[in-house]
Amino acid sequence: MSPASSRTPFATFRDQYAELMRSAFLVDLQYRASIAIWLIWGVTEPIISLGIWWSIAAGGAVDGYTREGFARYFFGVALVNQATLSWDAWNIDRWIREGEMNHRLTRPIAPIHEAIADNVAYKTPTATIILTMWIIASLFWPAVRIPFEPGRWSLAIIAIVLAAAIRFLNGYATGLLAFWTTRATALVELQFGLSLFLSGRIAPLSLLPPRVAHVAEYLWFPYVLSFPVEILTGAVTTSEQYLRGFAGQAIWLAIWLALYLVVWTRGRRHYGAVGG
Amino acid sequence: MPSAIVATELSKTYDVKVRDPGIKGALAALARPRYRQVRAVDNVSFAIERGDAVAFLGPNGAGKTTTLKMLTGLLFPTAGQAQVAGYDPWSGGNPFRQRIAFVLGNKQQLLWDLPPEETFRLNRAIYGVSLADYTTRRAELVELLLLGDLIDKPARQLSLGERMKCELAAALLHQPEVLFLDEPTLGLDLEAQQTIRTFLGEYRRRHGATILLTSHYMADVTALASRVLIINRGRLLYDGELSELVARIAPIKRIELVLSETVSRARLEEYGTVAHYAPPRATLEVPRETATVASTRLLTDLDVADLSIQDPPIEEVIRIAFGETEQDAEEDTVRTDVRRAPP
Repeated sequence: MSPASSRTPFATFRDQYAELMRSAFLVDLQYRASIAIWLIWGVTEPIISLGIWWSIAAGGAVDGYTREGFARYFFGVALVNQATLSWDAWNIDRWIREGEMNHRLTRPIAPIHEAIADNVAYKTPTATIILTMWIIASLFWPAVRIPFEPGRWSLAIIAIVLAAAIRFLNGYATGLLAFWTTRATALVELQFGLSLFLSGRIAPLSLLPPRVAHVAEYLWFPYVLSFPVEILTGAVTTSEQYLRGFAGQAIWLAIWLALYLVVWTRGRRHYGAVGG
Repeated sequence: MPSAIVATELSKTYDVKVRDPGIKGALAALARPRYRQVRAVDNVSFAIERGDAVAFLGPNGAGKTTTLKMLTGLLFPTAGQAQVAGYDPWSGGNPFRQRIAFVLGNKQQLLWDLPPEETFRLNRAIYGVSLADYTTRRAELVELLLLGDLIDKPARQLSLGERMKCELAAALLHQPEVLFLDEPTLGLDLEAQQTIRTFLGEYRRRHGATILLTSHYMADVTALASRVLIINRGRLLYDGELSELVARIAPIKRIELVLSETVSRARLEEYGTVAHYAPPRATLEVPRETATVASTRLLTDLDVADLSIQDPPIEEVIRIAFGETEQDAEEDTVRTDVRRAPP
């Protein structure tokens, strides 16, 4: 009895991802109404922020940001945020609490791959919807148009993918703390609260009080939202800014990957010791 | 060929938080947590040969599921070792997981919102089953489990029994060598229970799969397993043939009678103990070794319309077995205490 086929490990892995993404996408289709509501909420938040800054900037530019500048920034926030969302901690928490982790641990694939496939399957279509809305809006509203620069857009895409990876690993590793505590999702909420300010979600980082902006520099938050958004809007210009941004992303990706590996290995051992 | 499952002195001890009831108790536990050690599984050893089906019996909380979780690599033992399909479950990794299936009757792995067919497709990819093998195995499982068009309905619309059949199919597409089933017929109606029993028996015959199952339904046990492991309070108390257990625990046979004439209870008492008397039906209990003689006498002496000799119901045997073993355990404890007493 030979359960594994003669295909290469890579072919099997590709096949696993294809089917994981397919089923995740089919499940998402079942929840299209909920997804529409989440999307509306995802867009509403930056629009509210934009509304506030729009009126503040009525008298002229705020720290270099004009009304149009804010509009482009918050459209960018809506897109990048949709592409980098992280919800896995809630799944992990539920699976461990309700014993649904068990069958995932007896399958010949680590549960993180299911989560990655799930993320790709959800974010690709939903981020595309937001991008389409942005393109349509720019037809009627010149303020949100961004210049066509293929080089810049390519770098923005790379930065968004890296940002999504950092935020995913951050949320996943924190979620895995559910192996020890029932408060893992509370920790994710706390990080979310901090990220509102420190990632540039409610205001561009350059408008934060200098001390807060300084603290943010030493954390991963600016790299998961502000940096890719500012590439898109044109605020990142010098090669030094690019280098600092991508280096920051690379470092935080490595850190969260390492943390994930540690938490996963130890969490699995802890789960094995105390049971689910 | 090595055994499919070998458990050697497996033990699992949990630290359980002790808490007094009420708010005061909760606050006290917060300030100063106290733990009590619970031996969920205590020094359990057994071996199961390839292709055998064995039932794991015991009351709730006896340690059955904990043992299965250790054998599937979900939990690691506090002490002892295990080998399943030639692998150490804890360190065997994906090659080990390819060779087993673990079905929990009260949990599901089917994608809730999608038809079971989608879970099958997903499992095919996850277990790296070739398309050709998948097609053959899927067809076989659909036939044996009478799945028909169930696999095209969303899993959430299926009845419990239908879902369980699909769960089994999903768990067997990679043709595991060793199958762990925890209460596979829990809560199912009689028909679904019967389908699953017939299926498991047939599947084992066809593919030589090893099955270790726990169940509260004795019909599962008698239909599927000739050998039983009885565990209580974490300790393995019996490992052997079901028929031997019956003979040992309950050395009686039951003679069920349908009489054509009216016979008084007192008259029947001459042949054995009357367990049940509702003319024209009666049930006699006689010592195992004299059952044949007693039946012959009954047939000669009385006008008997129907007679059958049966073992006492297995439920009763198990109940008696648990009762006895609990007594043994208590005696053990007493003995240990005596040994520990200062001279």
